Amino acid sequence: MKNSKKLLYRLAAAAVVVLIAAAMFIVGRGHTVYFDSKSGDYNGTEYAAPYKMEVYVDGERVAKLKEGERGMASTMGQSFSFRIEVTPEKGGDSYTKDFSLKLPYSLDGIVVNVPALEAGLPEEAWESEFVPVVQAAKAEDEEVVTDEFAGLMGDEEDEAS
Amino acid sequence: MTKKKNLRGLLRQGSVSLMFVVICIVCIPISGLSPAYLVNEIVTRTGRNAFLILSLLIPIMAGMGLNFGMTLGAMAGEIGLILVSDWQIVGIPGMVLAMIISVPISIILGLFCGKILNMAKGREMITSYIISYFINGVYQLVVLYLMGPVIPIRHSSIKLPRGYGIRNTVSLLSMRQKLDNLVAIRVGGVKIPVVTFIVIAVMCLCIIWFRKTKLGQDMRAVGQDMEVARDAGINVERTRIISIVISTVLAGIGMIIYLQNMGNIATYSSHSQIGMFCIAALLVGGASVDKASIGNVFLGIALFHTMFIVAPKAGAVITGDSMIGEYFRVFVSYAVITVALIMYETNKRRAKGQAGEELARAQLEEERA
Repeated sequence: MKNSKKLLYRLAAAAVVVLIAAAMFIVGRGHTVYFDSKSGDYNGTEYAAPYKMEVYVDGERVAKLKEGERGMASTMGQSFSFRIEVTPEKGGDSYTKDFSLKLPYSLDGIVVNVPALEAGLPEEAWESEFVPVVQAAKAEDEEVVTDEFAGLMGDEEDEAS
Repeated sequence: MTKKKNLRGLLRQGSVSLMFVVICIVCIPISGLSPAYLVNEIVTRTGRNAFLILSLLIPIMAGMGLNFGMTLGAMAGEIGLILVSDWQIVGIPGMVLAMIISVPISIILGLFCGKILNMAKGREMITSYIISYFINGVYQLVVLYLMGPVIPIRHSSIKLPRGYGIRNTVSLLSMRQKLDNLVAIRVGGVKIPVVTFIVIAVMCLCIIWFRKTKLGQDMRAVGQDMEVARDAGINVERTRIISIVISTVLAGIGMIIYLQNMGNIATYSSHSQIGMFCIAALLVGGASVDKASIGNVFLGIALFHTMFIVAPKAGAVITGDSMIGEYFRVFVSYAVITVALIMYETNKRRAKGQAGEELARAQLEEERA
């Protein structure tokens, strides 16, 4: 009886730890959100990039974009809110707009085309996965130093001979 | 006579700390560093190192000496952080998840280490030191060859360009000082990482509480005399293993706190250096192989790290070469451990000799009577 109670407590403790780990997986997932300010069209609907746009996350300015430029911000979790301050034309009045997005868990980097989002187009029009550019030249291999006696045991001489 | 003896004993016990106080008093003015800078650095380093050094107290309580095997826990912590970095879990949740991952690895390594140390009673320190080298080899096998083909690693920023194995340095920018900056206050230009200090304070309270528990009392009994403890019905081997497991688990968590402060992992060297410096700091604080307290931890960090900060600057001023100070602090770290080990052995022999003398005197008196 005592042993089964002990086992029950242990299993309960293990379950709590697993639940915490699962929660950390969801809550702590980091994403990098890239903000694009690009003109384009989606199924015949055209959208234009404004003259200037500033992006704020948690009250802090993370990007100041002109047409064709890109900014970025790091975030944690799947809910992401930001504010844009748009100046449509040079010397014109600016206005602000707030957005809340649900970020896909599986993506590390998400590109958001803000003008398309602002135009109220469907998700596929303004959201895409960020794919890092593959370097044409092969990256140089990194030498790993794990042995503190490296070079002191005469290995190099052996290899040379 | 007794007072004189007591004073001599006290001086002998605190000789290492005194030596460091003298070094600091001499080096601080020479280094030219401002008091605010020094205090800031020491507060940062206390937050960074205290948890790791506290992990050394329990094996000392159980009579197992300085746990050089804390390196095993540090490796477990690093593995947790590498995986979490690859999964892109950031901030405090990333740290918590890394701790959860490190705990079972630490427990397994601690069990292994504890079992071996039970086979090498009386030679625990050198055995744990060698075990740390052995497990370092296993760690390298896992990190250098299994991470990639067997343990999936997706990100090229972590993976070596050849396609498997982990880079020499893994960036922890996404969780850098997240715990320290969670609640940080500035007092006179000194940044105090409140949450980190709360975690450390809780750990200290846990150690104080643990000493009073049945298991804690058993450990102290085992630490004083294994045979007497065994006669009293204590499972000596089990108690010793538990002490090493607790120490290894705490070292793993401590390493995560340490690395979040640093902001990157030196994949193949962080853990090997950490054991040595933590043990040296504890000894500088006045601890010995068989006796250490929470006070020793904090005094040790303050003195050892003051020396660490000022030595290169003082060396540069005195000799014109900062490398002299660099050599000096590394030399002192190792020297402190050596002196502590010699003092421990000398005291043990002296106590043995005194006990023998007393026994001979008692026998003589008995014969006379």
